[in-house]
Amino acid sequence: MAEPGTPLSADERDALAAELALGMLTGAEKAQALRLQLSDAAFAAEVAAWEARFAPLHLNYGEHAPPANVWNGIAARLDGPNDISRDAGLHAKLMAWKTGALLSGALAASLALVLLFRAPDSPSVDAPQVAQAAPQLAVAQMVSPKADMMVVARYDAATAQLKLRADNMPQGALVPELWVIPADGKPRSLGFIATTGTTRMAVSPKMRVMLEDGVTLAITMEPAAAVPHEAPSSAPVAAGKITII
Amino acid sequence: MSEADPLSAADAARIRLVAALAQVARQDRTALRQVYEMTSAKLFGICLRISSDREAAEDILQDVYIKVWNRAGRFDADRASPITWLCAIARNTAIDWQRSSSRVVTAPEDAAHAIADDRPRADQSIEREQQSDRINLCLDELEGRQGEAIRAAFFDGLTYADLAVRMDVPLGTMKSWVRRGLQRLKGCLGDG
Repeated sequence: MAEPGTPLSADERDALAAELALGMLTGAEKAQALRLQLSDAAFAAEVAAWEARFAPLHLNYGEHAPPANVWNGIAARLDGPNDISRDAGLHAKLMAWKTGALLSGALAASLALVLLFRAPDSPSVDAPQVAQAAPQLAVAQMVSPKADMMVVARYDAATAQLKLRADNMPQGALVPELWVIPADGKPRSLGFIATTGTTRMAVSPKMRVMLEDGVTLAITMEPAAAVPHEAPSSAPVAAGKITII
Repeated sequence: MSEADPLSAADAARIRLVAALAQVARQDRTALRQVYEMTSAKLFGICLRISSDREAAEDILQDVYIKVWNRAGRFDADRASPITWLCAIARNTAIDWQRSSSRVVTAPEDAAHAIADDRPRADQSIEREQQSDRINLCLDELEGRQGEAIRAAFFDGLTYADLAVRMDVPLGTMKSWVRRGLQRLKGCLGDG
């Protein structure tokens, strides 16, 4: 793998795009490729092109009927205690928040937030030096191509510590608050982030279990308060999905 | 395909699947059940192939349909085929499981058996795409071990390290085989 910071040649970039599309990468290499995919539209297009090239191969997989209990398991999970689909009013409210807040084109175009997690226990057979360089780490990056705002975060699964560094966040009366939005769609505050410098937060056990693959994270600007808010009062300035690596 | 062609069974299935996914996006459970009926054998085949573990594959398949439930609103029928979109979710979920679990890399003697069903079959139930034939032809044209490695990376969700163990070559050799193979594949597909 290339040293961080070393520009990749065109061939290396193309190979990395193909490897990411194939799902061959692990650990720090995958983190590097995902960061590039987020920050570099041309690279993201190369990844998408490789995904499109490989997509027809999915049709080659053979079929095997799953046992009937699998559907029962899915149905039970949809019926779970956290199921909000039965509470139409709450569901509609949350969908409105998510739709208005997260899917607005302006937001999607200007900001992205991603948390790159290592799975807590991922014995890796390859590249032991990589495993040593990044033990139990997660990296989060929020970038804005328009402003030069950036938040970089690191999550240490071993200590459940989330460390964020912010640069050029909006200054004013409002402060940035970090939210996790699990499958039930209800935002839970992880706490406030300093607009400059480093913020360290201990993630409570209750919140830790929510930091799963595919779960949304968002930052909103909120009035300063002694304790995290129950719910966000405004649209997020950044949002993204957690990717486990 | 000319406009005079009648709607094929595959086209009809595709249209039904797109419509069902649109209903799933509105949190319609009956529609999720319909998507499941239409696609679970295909997606279970993927989970089983990558995990090589029947019990794990059942858990992974549950996760896949929960993801479909949560992500159906992001499916764009203009940009992707519904079945390959679903297959990609299943493949990625199974690979994530594989990466995060302790497992033994498939031994070389198992590999031949494991790759036995990665050729297209005549009875594709949802759809057959011409591109599928094309990429298979291009993979066949690659130098033997290059094609074999890329097929194993795709169908079994293997990393370079896994591939090096399975094919019993040094990691660096495996990387250069795959990378050369990918370049030639791109050229063969006509957009390199």
